[in-house]
Amino acid sequence: MFNIVVGHSEDPDSLTAVKEVLEQCASDLADIVPKAGILFAAIDFHHALILQEIDSVFPGIDLIGCTTDGEMSSVLGFQQDSLTLILISSDTVEINIGVGYGVRENAIAAAQQAVRQATEKSSTAAKLCIPLPASYTADGSTTSGESILKGLKLALGLDVPLVGGTAGDQYRFTKTYQFFRTEVLTDSLPILIFSGDILFSYGTACGWQPIGLKSIVTKAHETVLYEIDGKPAIEFYQHYLGKHPPTIEHPLAVYEGDSERYYMRVPHTCDLEIGSISFLGDIPEQAMVRFTDISRNEVVAASETSLKTALKNYPGSEPKAAFIFSCCCRRWVLGTRTKEEYQLVRNALSTEVPICGFYTYGEFAPLEPHGSTYYHQETFVTLLLGTK
Amino acid sequence: MEPANYESESRLHELEKTVRILKKKLARSEANLEKLEQTSELRESVLKGTIRELEESQISLQKHGYELENALANLKALQGKLVESEKMSALGVLVAGIAHEINNPINFICGNLIYANNYFQDLLRLVQIYQQYYPEPVSAIQQEIKAIELEFLIQDSEKLFQSMNMGVDRICDIVTSLRNFSRLDEAEFKVTDIHQGIDSTLVILNSRLKSVLNFPKGIQVIRDYGTLPLIGCYPGQLNQVFMNIITNAIDALEEGLINQQVMLNEKSLIPTIHICTEVLNNDWVMIRIADNGQGMDEKVHSKLFDPFFTTKDVGKGTGLGLSISYRIIVELHGGKLDCYSAPGTGAEFVIQIPTRR
Repeated sequence: MFNIVVGHSEDPDSLTAVKEVLEQCASDLADIVPKAGILFAAIDFHHALILQEIDSVFPGIDLIGCTTDGEMSSVLGFQQDSLTLILISSDTVEINIGVGYGVRENAIAAAQQAVRQATEKSSTAAKLCIPLPASYTADGSTTSGESILKGLKLALGLDVPLVGGTAGDQYRFTKTYQFFRTEVLTDSLPILIFSGDILFSYGTACGWQPIGLKSIVTKAHETVLYEIDGKPAIEFYQHYLGKHPPTIEHPLAVYEGDSERYYMRVPHTCDLEIGSISFLGDIPEQAMVRFTDISRNEVVAASETSLKTALKNYPGSEPKAAFIFSCCCRRWVLGTRTKEEYQLVRNALSTEVPICGFYTYGEFAPLEPHGSTYYHQETFVTLLLGTK
Repeated sequence: MEPANYESESRLHELEKTVRILKKKLARSEANLEKLEQTSELRESVLKGTIRELEESQISLQKHGYELENALANLKALQGKLVESEKMSALGVLVAGIAHEINNPINFICGNLIYANNYFQDLLRLVQIYQQYYPEPVSAIQQEIKAIELEFLIQDSEKLFQSMNMGVDRICDIVTSLRNFSRLDEAEFKVTDIHQGIDSTLVILNSRLKSVLNFPKGIQVIRDYGTLPLIGCYPGQLNQVFMNIITNAIDALEEGLINQQVMLNEKSLIPTIHICTEVLNNDWVMIRIADNGQGMDEKVHSKLFDPFFTTKDVGKGTGLGLSISYRIIVELHGGKLDCYSAPGTGAEFVIQIPTRR
């Protein structure tokens, strides 16, 4: 038995919303007691109250979650300022949770702490991990997605895929919250690990297109880009954006070696005095880079590509649930068309399959089946789960 | 609680929830609107940036295009100059060498021919004196006189020496023309008689003028020379221009005859090259070289002076003659070179050279 139910409320009042969500879940669960849960909540809710309420209805439930930039579920589709809860119960699949603290200062240690906690009670090897770490911790300081990825790989081994996303705060970029049981945290790494008889698949796609001329990174150190083509990095962006500072809508396409494959690096802050730009990921020196732009059609098309990849690679025949992790920048550029991302997934799956997901500040997923996990930005990730 | 009260309280809760949601959505919409306006400005900047980059690329491409076109034209011209100058240099050396080599033996012949004639006349006189004093020689002598046809020999020898002198004179003329044409010693700017240059060219081309296909009479050359002053020029190079234009005229006439495209009236049946010279306003010397061949169409005419343009068969023409000629007249002499032609009306090349430079 592997059962997943979803509740979703758009009521801005925390108590009413959580009660509504719990009623929906309880109704679908019948008498089954959920083993674990994942909560995605908008930033303005009274999160502690919500967690207390869930714990009072399902005492001691293994719950993780985070604040978001938008929520999606098969109950209400795409929503903002809403609350969605997914509850999982199974007698063949082991589900364990763990949390690491102080992830901004020491992501490796936090990852080890979370993994240790999640696996110590587990009788079988971990098969899949869903991380929901902090992104912005306080005053605009951020965690490092790549360090978290590195830490989790070190603790879990390279064979365990990581599929998840970092917490959001409704495009404010100041402070995000994570949930662990009844704790509301700001600088943590909650994870959920599946082991046992679980089947899953995933797919990723982006949709951003590089434009303009290729240039060379002539000076960079880790996430800080100082010079492109021997000129201050800010001038490269100013060429396209004029007086506007670099924004997350226009990430940098970084090319791998001489190939035409590229990955995205999103600008975070800039130092106008020295003309440097700080990115949410490392920028290698001597790499070829290009400015990027989007068309909404291509972004929507990418979410369909992601889903199709996941469906094609699903090892069974009946996925039981779908998780979707989509980048906040996608939501922002898609505007009123954001709901199409969810709708594409909904249309392709049986109506009985519950869907739940959120808009993230960074995504984790491998690029191919059995491949190593990457830290993404601007990406749409689909995760299909089931036991047959 | 009464059912009616319960229902109205439930409706009230529902309404309160709706109001909360709407309030939240309104706040969100306002925030979104503000951000959208910012994004709109941003996208406008991106568009402008992209357009600017495209414009820059376009300008840069155009510039490169022009540069490449210029470079190609220069390269072609340079190649043309190089080929032609190499060719002319080699030809000049060859012609000068041949002229020099022929000149010496012809001088021996020319000089000794007078003595040979004198000796022969002396011997004839001696024979006549013998005949006068011995009117009845022995039979062996009489037989020999008969055998050699002495009377005819005496009469014919005079014509023989006249013919030999003419031949030698012609060889001398040709040698002088060759030396004159190659002008290896006259590569520099000097005062020259233009007519002499044209005549030398015609002497060199004599064989081509005389043996034209199906026309035993050859090409008729009409020299309509005016009185020209001596003018400062590069005589060797100028002769090259005459050579190129007259050769082209001969080619055109021959081609016309082969194609039988010349009009079948009396006048145009005689292939003719008309060379006319005159002075214009005391400032310019004008040389017109016209043929009555088949002429050319506008397409050919427009490319006439382009390097490597030729209508001749592969291997027959380099397509450089007229472009080199144009360069010699226009660039070297500050003159003008024009061509007037239409299909069926022949072609006229007009060279104008300033009399004073």
